[in-house]
Amino acid sequence: MKLKQNWIPYLFLTPWILYFLVFLLYPFFLSFQNSFLDINVLNPENTRFVGLGNWITVVADDKFWLSLFNVLFNQIIFVTLSFFIALAAALMLNEISVLASLFRTILFVPVITSITVAMIIFDFLAAPTGPVQSALVSSGVMEQSVFWKFEQWLPMPVIAVFSSWKWFGVQMIIFLGGIASVNKSLYEAADLDGASWWRKVTAITLPMIKPQIVFVLTINIINGLQMFVEVFMNFDLQGGPYNAALTPVLYLYQTGFEQMKMGQASTIGLLLALIIYALTMMQIKLTSKGDH
Amino acid sequence: MLRITRQQWLIYGALIVASIVVLYPFFFMIINSFKTGAEIMHTPNALPTEWSLRGYIDVFNSVDLGRIFLNTIFISISVTVLNCLFSSMVAFAIVKTNMPGREFWLKMILSSMMIPAILFTIPVYMMMYDWGWINTYRVLIIPGSISAYNIFLLVQFMKQIDNAYLEAARIDGASEFRIFFKVVLPMLRPALATVGILTFMGAWNDFMGPLLYIRDDSMLTLQMALFKFQSDVPGGKLEQLWAMTTMIAVPVVFVFFFLQKNFIKAFTGVGIK
Repeated sequence: MKLKQNWIPYLFLTPWILYFLVFLLYPFFLSFQNSFLDINVLNPENTRFVGLGNWITVVADDKFWLSLFNVLFNQIIFVTLSFFIALAAALMLNEISVLASLFRTILFVPVITSITVAMIIFDFLAAPTGPVQSALVSSGVMEQSVFWKFEQWLPMPVIAVFSSWKWFGVQMIIFLGGIASVNKSLYEAADLDGASWWRKVTAITLPMIKPQIVFVLTINIINGLQMFVEVFMNFDLQGGPYNAALTPVLYLYQTGFEQMKMGQASTIGLLLALIIYALTMMQIKLTSKGDH
Repeated sequence: MLRITRQQWLIYGALIVASIVVLYPFFFMIINSFKTGAEIMHTPNALPTEWSLRGYIDVFNSVDLGRIFLNTIFISISVTVLNCLFSSMVAFAIVKTNMPGREFWLKMILSSMMIPAILFTIPVYMMMYDWGWINTYRVLIIPGSISAYNIFLLVQFMKQIDNAYLEAARIDGASEFRIFFKVVLPMLRPALATVGILTFMGAWNDFMGPLLYIRDDSMLTLQMALFKFQSDVPGGKLEQLWAMTTMIAVPVVFVFFFLQKNFIKAFTGVGIK
């Protein structure tokens, strides 16, 4: 009886085992193998072994490193900006009770909007004749409107502002969850000592929601470095005249699906995954310093 | 008695400004969808001088929106149903059975979330190409029919189900399948609503999948159709573009306002400590 029952749990596990073998392990192996081949899906008979050729090509290609620089430049702005907006929103929502859930819902709307819709609207809002630039010019902040997509240094910061608008809601919700779970007696004790609101935020709230902050940073690194749709929808596959919007995934797309170099594209994927993994680990190590 | 302090008035002020910044783009989209093409070009920031339905009427004549909505609904529902079923099966095996190595499987599932998805884009594309799955619905459904994050969420929810219910059913001689379908799944309904909404939204908003795999216009999804419309006529047919964007965005926002609690639960990940 007991013996007969033992295989049944594995039956429930089967979907994961199949998924793991077919969509994770095998593609991983394939990706590794491809990185040593010159391969084109359209003419598989011409596949040939090139050794470390793809790796050398990618590592020696300035465009790969430029794309990595671009996306890091974008992430530094996005992570900082969205962190402060999300934290401010969460702290404010925590201070009120009337209408708090309505405001929370409104501020979350950009997150559930598809990136396609959001990007089309944003494209018009940020256009040289659009409302944002018109307001900035007429209020004297900007001297004249700019075609930001064709500038060398503007594409990444502008997209970072867009991404902050689009994604701060997720971070806000996660921070709110963290703040709600902080022991109230800590604040009461601080009140007795006459601590200011700001002092309570820096001495109690921030240290107590550190796990949420680490979580948010980890998600940001993994997702942010794989940015694609935002640049794909607004720029050509080169990322504009200065390659200023070329991200690693756009570079991979261009190599794999335009030039049909699947081996080289696999190599870019592996290298990028490796870099993201290393950065994630580094970030977790750094932020967990001093924890017990 | 509700007392609102001066500090709270400041906070309300700031939140109202933030809400305007967040909602203004949608307002901009809606007012432009009721203008004529020339007006969109020349006075993009003003209210329409005359409210026109031209964009809405024309977009229905030039794009097969019914078909595109149906495609998207079919794909999103298939992904959601399969994903809820398969992910909760796996969570059940990990939380509610005596299977050896449960900790190992859970660790493996959690660590798979740390692998950047881009690693799989090219090899999975080549696999799909070899299997002849390009330009089919299943290429957008099967790879999304289970996900590590959903298993992780469902494991958290399933831990809260009291084992006594399962034991009682086992004593009555119920099989594990019966227990899963008749005892665990019904009790998991609120959790499945949360996981389902998250999955549905992911499938509905998916861009990369249809971009890589769908060639045929009759199989387009909403996001791809919108993207194609935008890139095929840059600067042209603006009133149609805004009408289409509005029709795609507004239903989602409506559904969100009704189900916002579930959405928010899905993003906070319940048990994240």
